[in-house]
Amino acid sequence: MIKIVTRFGEIEYDPTKTVHFPEGLIGFEHLRDFIVMPNEKEGPLFWIQSIDDPQIAFVLTDPTNFFLEYRVKPDQRECQKLGIQSQDDCFCLSVVTVPTDRKITLNLAAPILFSPSTNRALQVILENSSHSARTPLPQ
Amino acid sequence: MLVLTRKTGEGIIIGDNIRITVVEIKGGGIRLGIDAPSDKKIYRQEVFDRICQENKEALQWNLADLNALSTSLTQKKGQS
Repeated sequence: MIKIVTRFGEIEYDPTKTVHFPEGLIGFEHLRDFIVMPNEKEGPLFWIQSIDDPQIAFVLTDPTNFFLEYRVKPDQRECQKLGIQSQDDCFCLSVVTVPTDRKITLNLAAPILFSPSTNRALQVILENSSHSARTPLPQ
Repeated sequence: MLVLTRKTGEGIIIGDNIRITVVEIKGGGIRLGIDAPSDKKIYRQEVFDRICQENKEALQWNLADLNALSTSLTQKKGQS
């Protein structure tokens, strides 16, 4: 186990169980490795903490918790980057913005494709879609 | 920044394997054709900038809000 100090305090993690973003996230291309943090409370939200920068942590969720129809599949090139054979070996996550008024939004315009078998993830931009980078939860 | 003038049908080569061609100039818009290896990501700048900005804003959160939200979202799910 390795310990790092983050803005949430000291975190201990297993270096064999981190998620690797071979291209980083959009705008954070230099940060490649993250620890998956289960939330203290049960629920659909969890977060990932950058190993390299203690200030950087993103809240994520499975968007199908809120948007049943939302599906994003990796193309061949993305499968290659994720190290998977089939596009079904991957599922989709969304970055969650948590403002102080707690009216959270999901970034459905730039989902994260995650492959549990290889522990790799990519953030992709859906350029030709109507999804918003700031989609509020359905009422 | 390097600034070049090109006409319709003319192009620019960047490095060994990126070619940008001016396809059409019409009404203040320019259509560009881009040949690049498939591993090169190509985005409209404003779309890319928007996602960068959204990711930056997504960094501003705290555990108290996250815990409160988890509780309320779980309750909502339980009700539905």
